[in-house]
Amino acid sequence: MKKVDRILLRFSEENVAEPITSQVILELGIPMRIVTATVNSLGGDILLEVPAVHVEKVVQAFRKKGVVVKFPMLIEVDYDKCFDCGACYALCPVDAISFDEEHSVVFDEKKCIGSPCGLCVDACPARAIKLVEQQRNHPK
Amino acid sequence: MAASKISNGRSIAEINQKIKSGDVQVLTAEEMRKLVESSDVEVAYKEVDVVTTGTFGAMCSSGAIINLGHSDPPIKIQRAWLNDVEVSHPGAAVDLYIGATMMSDTQPYEYGGGHVIEDLIAGKEIEVRATSYGTDCYPRTKLDTTITKHDLNQFYLLNFRNCYQRYVCATNSRDEMIYTYMGKLLPRFRNATYSGAGALNPLMNDPDYETIGVGTRIFVGGAQGYVIGEGTQHDPNNRFGTIMVRGDCKKMSPEFIRGGAFTKYGTSLYIGMGIPIPMLNEGLAKKTSLRDEEIFTDIVDYGVPRRGRPKLGEVSYATLKSGEVTINDRKIRVSSLSSLKKARKIAETLKSWIENGTFYLSAPAETLPTDSVCNPMKQTGEIAFVNSVAHEAVICRVDEGIKAVAQRIISKSVNHVVVTDKSGEIKGIVTSWDLTRAIAEGKSRLVDVITKKVFTTRPDESLEAASRKMAQHHISALPVIDRDKKVVGLITSEDISKLRGR
Repeated sequence: MKKVDRILLRFSEENVAEPITSQVILELGIPMRIVTATVNSLGGDILLEVPAVHVEKVVQAFRKKGVVVKFPMLIEVDYDKCFDCGACYALCPVDAISFDEEHSVVFDEKKCIGSPCGLCVDACPARAIKLVEQQRNHPK
Repeated sequence: MAASKISNGRSIAEINQKIKSGDVQVLTAEEMRKLVESSDVEVAYKEVDVVTTGTFGAMCSSGAIINLGHSDPPIKIQRAWLNDVEVSHPGAAVDLYIGATMMSDTQPYEYGGGHVIEDLIAGKEIEVRATSYGTDCYPRTKLDTTITKHDLNQFYLLNFRNCYQRYVCATNSRDEMIYTYMGKLLPRFRNATYSGAGALNPLMNDPDYETIGVGTRIFVGGAQGYVIGEGTQHDPNNRFGTIMVRGDCKKMSPEFIRGGAFTKYGTSLYIGMGIPIPMLNEGLAKKTSLRDEEIFTDIVDYGVPRRGRPKLGEVSYATLKSGEVTINDRKIRVSSLSSLKKARKIAETLKSWIENGTFYLSAPAETLPTDSVCNPMKQTGEIAFVNSVAHEAVICRVDEGIKAVAQRIISKSVNHVVVTDKSGEIKGIVTSWDLTRAIAEGKSRLVDVITKKVFTTRPDESLEAASRKMAQHHISALPVIDRDKKVVGLITSEDISKLRGR
């Protein structure tokens, strides 16, 4: 599987009405996956998954159109600390947390949206969940 | 001969003899249920000598007693801290009690007594700080040293309430998220939490306490420990039994005992506990075959900060373990705060100890009481609630003009006007400051200046809870609403300070 980076687009009341995301996709011809989107007439957030090799280009294109682009933090689980209570389970809005047959807590990193959410982080009594910076080749 | 003995019941001495000879039959409570389902109680009783149980959850009313040994010159410790967590000094000179919920002075809510106990058990070095007033026999007034568990004379868990038979399922009716000892509860019933291992729970498998009492040998934190009596708030009639426990920390493992942190609530200690239930009679065989479907508990609204929190319904542990409960006809996710995986591991570990002949059963010197009651606190002072202070709210409608509302603020000489719809349901709040700002910014429509997300209170909320809410959100008044969100009054910080000044 190709390496992907996640970027968070923040739209304002002024630019939310314009079809910026589709414009960038058409201009660059780079496939992107929308992980989550919470947008209304006042603005909002879109979490995008972009091929890591193209991330710089994509970020620049969005910034040029007045969109604030951030690299969201991702969830990191310390399985040595986790004692599999599952306090995090019911808080996850994207079904990224489940139990396996042995009743161990399992995180699906692909589904997890990271820092735009983070609801599970301070609910973990074992403090096994952390938000960490994405490891990227081109830090910015 | 042996057959007639079995039909008359087994004794603990007979079971221990079987442990010694290596032919004891042990099942976990989950295995026992399956055996009874596939054969029947009579067969299961004949075949099985011991059923093991387990639970792993936050048990706040816990702590460890340690003895440091005497320093030279000696000190009679008055106050002491372990890794910045204040510990209590209930005894003579160098005995300290590490309370699980005592929080670190430097990392409150994140690190506490439970973590100190875990770190000591893990073999880590702990900083000790102590102060004293000095006496003729104990002249020293300050102490700074480091210790590990090996430096302690005694290091025992002495827990005054553990192992609740079952516990409630918590949810939150409020419009805001709350942080409780039952974890993080999202607004408007968007999640729920529960605790306990259900059918694996130790006391649930001997609900009449036929085999559990002072001196019952049990699994505590990965080592052998003892029940030393009923726990505080032991409530047998409501199936909320508890136990008091002693355990040898020096033999425990961090795998089965861990510090816990509850955001904005405090710290605790997660403890693994397992009780072996000897199959002394057929009735016990039946009781240990209990299913999660048969254990019910209440769904309780933790959004109401009163002793009698409203009950919203009943739910079985089978439903809780499924991860989804129904509240007000809506399905919501429910999280466990205790670990079923560890509970199973504990029941399995205890089973293997008995099979290996490293754990023998003990008969209690006295079983847990079955008739004690858990009373509420006797309170001599008068407790004030919102309805004793709240007054009539000045009200307006969303479609009224700013001028009309401003005039009302002047004529009624108030600072807050509550916005409602036709039915009286709350829609917002507007203050004299909001109106001033509207004039300054040239806004003319009321709808543009009102605060729509309003913090509210209920008539039966305590004044303390209401004033805590105002302080938390930096506001000076709370509309009082009923269950249908209709406005029934207003309470201001001024009202509360007047009452306090009285």
